[in-house]
Amino acid sequence: MIKKKPETSPRRRPYRQLPHTADLAWRLWGASLPELFENAGRALSATLTDRRYLRRRATREVNLTAIDREALLVDWLNHLLYLFDQDGFLGRDFQVESLTPERLEARVTGESFDPARHPSLTGVKAATFQQLSIVPVKDGW
Amino acid sequence: MIKLRQIDAYRWEIPREGKMRTRGLIFCSKEMLPVLESDQSLQQVANVATLPGIVGPSLAMPDIHWGYGFAIGGVAAFDLEEGIVSPGGVGYDINCGVRLLRTRLSREHVAPLMKTLVDTLFTNIPSGVGSRRQDFKLTGSAFKKVLKDGCRWAVQEGFGEAGDLAHIEAGGAIAGADPEAVSDFALNRGKDQLGTLGSGNHFVEVGYVDEIYDAALAAQLGLFQDQVTAIVHTGSRGLGHQVCEDYIKVMLKASAKYGIELPDRQLCCAPLTSPEGQRYLAAMAGAANFAFANRQLITHWVRESFERVFQMGPRDLGLELVYDVCHNIAKIETHTVEGKSRKLCVHRKGATRAFPPHHPEVPEAYRETGQPVLIPGDMGRYSYVLVGTEKALTETFGSTCHGAGRLMSRHQAKKVARGRSIIQELAAQGIIVRGAGRGTIDEEISEAYKDVSGVVDVVHGAGIAKKVARLKPLGVIKG
Repeated sequence: MIKKKPETSPRRRPYRQLPHTADLAWRLWGASLPELFENAGRALSATLTDRRYLRRRATREVNLTAIDREALLVDWLNHLLYLFDQDGFLGRDFQVESLTPERLEARVTGESFDPARHPSLTGVKAATFQQLSIVPVKDGW
Repeated sequence: MIKLRQIDAYRWEIPREGKMRTRGLIFCSKEMLPVLESDQSLQQVANVATLPGIVGPSLAMPDIHWGYGFAIGGVAAFDLEEGIVSPGGVGYDINCGVRLLRTRLSREHVAPLMKTLVDTLFTNIPSGVGSRRQDFKLTGSAFKKVLKDGCRWAVQEGFGEAGDLAHIEAGGAIAGADPEAVSDFALNRGKDQLGTLGSGNHFVEVGYVDEIYDAALAAQLGLFQDQVTAIVHTGSRGLGHQVCEDYIKVMLKASAKYGIELPDRQLCCAPLTSPEGQRYLAAMAGAANFAFANRQLITHWVRESFERVFQMGPRDLGLELVYDVCHNIAKIETHTVEGKSRKLCVHRKGATRAFPPHHPEVPEAYRETGQPVLIPGDMGRYSYVLVGTEKALTETFGSTCHGAGRLMSRHQAKKVARGRSIIQELAAQGIIVRGAGRGTIDEEISEAYKDVSGVVDVVHGAGIAKKVARLKPLGVIKG
């Protein structure tokens, strides 16, 4: 499971792993909310494999609706996991085309996971609401 | 801070207070307390005690740790009329579980071929992040049969023998599975994952019987000193995760609809009598059966790998199933509560069923011993074989612990492993490890886990399972 906990931090990394005993937690940052969502997608790919080896071979359009932006973020990550389990698709680039608190439209470019070329890192079962909050900080979210 | 009261050397109580409908009962030793108190798991035990229709205490095993809503290592039973069912009480990896196979081989026979065996297993069993089978895709009607019939389907298709079925919890197929209750999303995630190990803590391990605690019980389980064994540990893969996720959404709405007050929204649930509750049970059974079939297919490839490497036939190898247990499941079972026989929905999340001798759900072969209980440890230390007891049946709804439990985060484990070759270190101890990625092997180092012997000593000491034998690893494939 992954959790995200954006907070102010001295260095602006788009995503950063936080310690958690049984699960995985990430602190995500974005200058804007769409960028926060894009960075969440990058963090997920980087958890599963080394994102640099992913080529831009295929594109997936993602349209999701949810009750609020936290639920939308969880759904977004779970949808990316679904694409991965379904046919191995992993995103390298994530582009949020439109985002409201209840609706997300995004385009993901990447390719199918190939164990011969892509290192197998940490498996992720699901994204959850555990300790999830999306909060504004001085220079973004 | 959660209030704890010591009952005896192995039992601690969270007294009933506030909105709790019952007390919490934790099995652990004094030495384990600081670890248990370091996360939210005790609070989670107290939270579960507030749920409607809970029967008996909210239970926790010594390997308890912080989980989604319900702690991992928790057991909770609910009345079928008044009680609830919750996906968080089962977990994301529905019917993650373990099976143990025995052989006729002795440790010294396999030692020279161990590396070949591990390589062959690694080739035959897809493992790691995103593992899938190219040769084996489930479609329409076959997929539905897997969800309905679990291991029965696998055996009909030639993956294993009819005799295997008697040595699996619930006969390898939980009744009441309805493929229609499983979403297309879940089916799509699982369609080419049947027969794959996945990643994380899942593994196939070849080991040997290192120590016997009860010679008579070990003999009845077909175990002898230095005997080669194999353990398969995996679950329902993406299909189960998606079923959990789908029904958490359903249950968030259902909790509000039925006016169930929740101290934590992750405990979302529905009454067992409601359509939502029934549908979750039907979907969960489907995912559980997928997991049973998954372990059965992997077992088939374990057998094939042994036959090829040792150039021996099935009869001489004697690769027979000792038992297969679920670690994450909700089951409808009959228990005696205050002298009355009642049907209950028992949630076991990171806990193992441990039924005593002569229980009707224990197979013929184990009528006199009690149901075998398999407790895997970490890849560098050991695993345990135990049997269920009468005390477990009366005190914990026939449940016991399930494993070691993590001590370090994956992040921390990787830091500790940095600059070391874990593969070489294990090889120096006589354990050959192959993993799909270095990452998983580093994350799964021994130090990252509690010593499983401490956990097993507590359940043995408390009498909720009985130690039979200890197994040590020789070769491991990790996801």
